[in-house]
Amino acid sequence: MDTQLLSQPSFATKLRALYVIARKDWKVFWRYPLNAVSNIFQPIIWVTPVYFMGQAFSTNGQALGFAQYSGSGDYMSFILLGTALSNFILTVFWGMGYALKEDMDTGVLESNWLTPISRLHILVGRTLTSLLTTTITSLIMLLLAGLMFGFHPTGNALLAFLAAIPMLVGLYGFGFAFAAVVLMMREANTLVDVSSFLVQGLSGANFPVKSLPYWLIPVSMMLPLTYGFDAVRGILLKTNTLFPIYVEVILLVVFMFVMLWFGAWIFNRVERKVRALGTLGQH
Amino acid sequence: METSLTPRSLGQRGLLSDIQAFRAILRREWTIFRRYPSWIIALLIWPLIFPMMYILTGRALSGVDGSGLAVFTKLTGATDFIGYVVIGTTVWMWQNIVLWDVGFALRNEQMRGTLESNWLSPTWRFSYLLGHTGPQIISMAMFVLITAVEFGFIFGVRLNGSVWMIALTMLTAIPAIYGLGFAFASLVITVKEANAFVFLIRGLVMIFCGITFPISLLPSWMQAVAKWMPQSYLIHAMREAAFSNAGVAELSSDLIPLLLFGTFWLIVGYFTFLWMERRARQTGAIGQY
Repeated sequence: MDTQLLSQPSFATKLRALYVIARKDWKVFWRYPLNAVSNIFQPIIWVTPVYFMGQAFSTNGQALGFAQYSGSGDYMSFILLGTALSNFILTVFWGMGYALKEDMDTGVLESNWLTPISRLHILVGRTLTSLLTTTITSLIMLLLAGLMFGFHPTGNALLAFLAAIPMLVGLYGFGFAFAAVVLMMREANTLVDVSSFLVQGLSGANFPVKSLPYWLIPVSMMLPLTYGFDAVRGILLKTNTLFPIYVEVILLVVFMFVMLWFGAWIFNRVERKVRALGTLGQH
Repeated sequence: METSLTPRSLGQRGLLSDIQAFRAILRREWTIFRRYPSWIIALLIWPLIFPMMYILTGRALSGVDGSGLAVFTKLTGATDFIGYVVIGTTVWMWQNIVLWDVGFALRNEQMRGTLESNWLSPTWRFSYLLGHTGPQIISMAMFVLITAVEFGFIFGVRLNGSVWMIALTMLTAIPAIYGLGFAFASLVITVKEANAFVFLIRGLVMIFCGITFPISLLPSWMQAVAKWMPQSYLIHAMREAAFSNAGVAELSSDLIPLLLFGTFWLIVGYFTFLWMERRARQTGAIGQY
């Protein structure tokens, strides 16, 4: 006897499911308004010690040492832009891996899994609200931090945005693979914190990767995000780039396709395995 | 004939039962601690990577010819930039971990829906927080030890002072660090938005206490705020003990405020707990999340 789904998933129902997940997360987000305020101030708090540290290395307000690597002594614009992009990296890591853990802890993962929608859709849905709120909070953060520390972009913002798109889409692939690890390990905080911190750091969120010790530079060059940070900064701040910007954008597009495929593949395999083991509902 | 009933707890609370409850909480925390082995990764990696990001930023600010570092050394008098940053970031991480571990002790119970049932047991409720503190202090001691080993071996950071003086400084800071954690843990039973509060408190430490730069660089109003934060004294004392070979007499200007802050925060922590716990029961907020 063939088993048949009672529901008939279609493109419209998938979109509706995404909308419902995003709406639920939107409600939860605004249920805790202090967290929203914190999202704006948190990145400013992180860059403040870097600002003062930079002052300790500067002569007459100019970080001349920094300019030797980046081509610009305006280290705060460099770091603020990196911080804004990092917010999006965190969103994808947190949005998927942490959302899974949250569902495990609150005991709704299995029931959500029973709905006739692809698991990857559920993961993507969990990032939609975060992406919107991250965009809003990052813009406010840039505005406030710009007033406090100075933010001086001189390039084309639209071009920079277009260059960032393949990086952000490719991050979803990272996020899928990472969600698979959370499914297996059943623990998210340490994994999310450590991996996103390392990836951001080695991609040059806070400093030009050319300043890394020579043995770390190859690691950094293997991370596609390095080219995302570099290209966006090259366009907006006119800093020195590792390769011509068009080469970096091509690398990002290739990375986007490879990571999406690889992330989805690994997630589906792991998900099938944890279902077979019966560990899906454990936490 | 009228009979009056006086409700009486079936459990007979006493010192022995409180100790038993404390032991049970310790054992449970230990079981949970072992259940998620990724803490081993955290314990090995965090002491290395968190300071690393500041160290690498400092490296970039130094420039190819090291001219930026010369400016920093002249300003701070610190000959060992890595050691200078590691001490600041370790203190920050200590306070941060206490806020997440001890500070979230009750909130996590609330989220799991076990706080109310635990509250019904005839035990001293403050032991829930104390029970969390024991394993936390042990894991923190391991954390500091691993930090010292990693930076000693990998980066060649060498102490120019006494290990015992550093240990004494850290012991003196325990009441202040954990007292703040107790107050925080109590507050979030009612306020709920624990994440935002952790971010706020650790953010204040990050901005005002000079984890990667000398406090003298801050504007005067920020320096005034820094004087009201025990972590500023702890960082300063640890740097003096580690790199300037300072003894008890030289450190006393930091140790005495640390003890005073410790007394203050322990009292505030305990009474905040009593107040918030009573308030949460009265408003029914104890089971909400």
